[in-house]
Amino acid sequence: MLKIIIPTIMLLPTALLSPKNLIWTNTTTHSLLIAAISLQWLHPTYFPHKNLSQWAGVDQISAPLLVLSCWLLPLMLMASQNHLQQEPMVRKRIFITTLITIQPFIILAFSATEVILFYISFEATLIPTLILITRWGNQPERLSAGIYLLFYTLISSLPLLVTLLHLHTQTGTLHLPTLELMHPSLTLSWTGTLSGLALLMTFMVKAPLYGLHLWLPKAHVEAPIAGSMLLAALLLKLGGYGIMRVTMLMGPLTSYLCFPFMTLALWGALMTSSICLRQTDLKSLIAYSSVSHMGLVIAASMIQTDWSFSGAMILMISHGLTSSMLFCLANTNYERTHSRILLLTRGLQPLLPLMSTWWLLANLTNMALPPTTNLMAELTIMTALFNWSMPTIILTGLATLLTASYTLFMLLMTQRGTSPSYITSIPNSNTREHLLMTLHILPMLLLMLKPELISGTI
Amino acid sequence: MVNFIQAVRDHWVHILVPLGFVIGCYLDRMNDEKLSAFRNKSLLYRRELKPGEETTWK
Repeated sequence: MLKIIIPTIMLLPTALLSPKNLIWTNTTTHSLLIAAISLQWLHPTYFPHKNLSQWAGVDQISAPLLVLSCWLLPLMLMASQNHLQQEPMVRKRIFITTLITIQPFIILAFSATEVILFYISFEATLIPTLILITRWGNQPERLSAGIYLLFYTLISSLPLLVTLLHLHTQTGTLHLPTLELMHPSLTLSWTGTLSGLALLMTFMVKAPLYGLHLWLPKAHVEAPIAGSMLLAALLLKLGGYGIMRVTMLMGPLTSYLCFPFMTLALWGALMTSSICLRQTDLKSLIAYSSVSHMGLVIAASMIQTDWSFSGAMILMISHGLTSSMLFCLANTNYERTHSRILLLTRGLQPLLPLMSTWWLLANLTNMALPPTTNLMAELTIMTALFNWSMPTIILTGLATLLTASYTLFMLLMTQRGTSPSYITSIPNSNTREHLLMTLHILPMLLLMLKPELISGTI
Repeated sequence: MVNFIQAVRDHWVHILVPLGFVIGCYLDRMNDEKLSAFRNKSLLYRRELKPGEETTWK
């Protein structure tokens, strides 16, 4: 564990002490090196935990998410280079430091075996994210977006802290591997039900569940590109991961508590997909598409079968890469046309032909075209849900149809049609952007060949 | 010589992350050693080591 966490912390002095002209190169290279070392976590093992210490361990559920979070840091650094070009050196260093600070917290959160340590690092990721959004966003509305993000998360997570302390006095330990071996401590009493609700609610807000998702589109729209990538690819996954962890602790309660959450998650997948169809703002569209995909993840992790967990894991990883790539693409358009409005940035295919290839690839993975891992995930989740209750096929089927429709809508709106007359000259796409897209799509293409690396339990 | 010193001044930061990795590896190994502190100490399951055997498990 420490052999990844300590180098990540050492990235901070690297960012602060690097010479002016080498700061981006140094931080990106070293974070890529760390990402390469972190690949060892994917190595399969028969033990339930790898690298187990007293406070942290890597198991099948956390390994893919850990590797994803290490992989995303160099990509976030690469994506932010352009919009920081005009800033003075000190601010660049502060921005990079903020980005790097999040990484150890996320690694801790995904690998902690002690629930309180998980809770602390889960909350700690909030502070750098808040700084990213409220300091580095582009519009004045970023302040209200920051308040939404902060208070949604805090209000929902205070009951979790109380419940964790309560559980600790009841059972005497919050060590996850020990807790899994014990009798379920939450009974069907009112205390048990409310504790279960409190345990789930934090992660439902973070994931986010439809109805508790209002902070997400705001945060995404206002955040700088690195913030959007971070939110879509990693912080939402903290929610999904948390749900998987706490439902294992809840024992018999989940079979009663799952109904409202399942209903909202599946209905929400339909609703948010429909919202996507009438979006005018590109970033907001991608944010709502994240809510719809995470709805499937929530539904799958609530029914707690091997298949559904495996589907949820694959969907989380593939959605993390896909949505992050879509945000990057949206940002390349935004940097050129200074507008996120779909109507004002039409017909970019003749202007940026190679970029439209990346748009096509990203959109095809987002709509779950056959060989992609997104399709494997959606099929696994749909099968697991169908096995749980037959009518769900109507909801999941419609959601898939709507996903394909709004993804095509997004592709056609940005790439086809006549370009608006006010776009007279735009800068060419450059190598940095192409490398960024390649580093997003490459893991997805490779994972198609070996999806068992990210399929969790199976 | 001056060039060398200049190169060191410019590029010494590259040592930080590998240094962190080495320290991390060392601490991880220390921790693993700590976890095996009670290896072959149980009164019930303790056994004599076979000739040429270093530990009972790794």
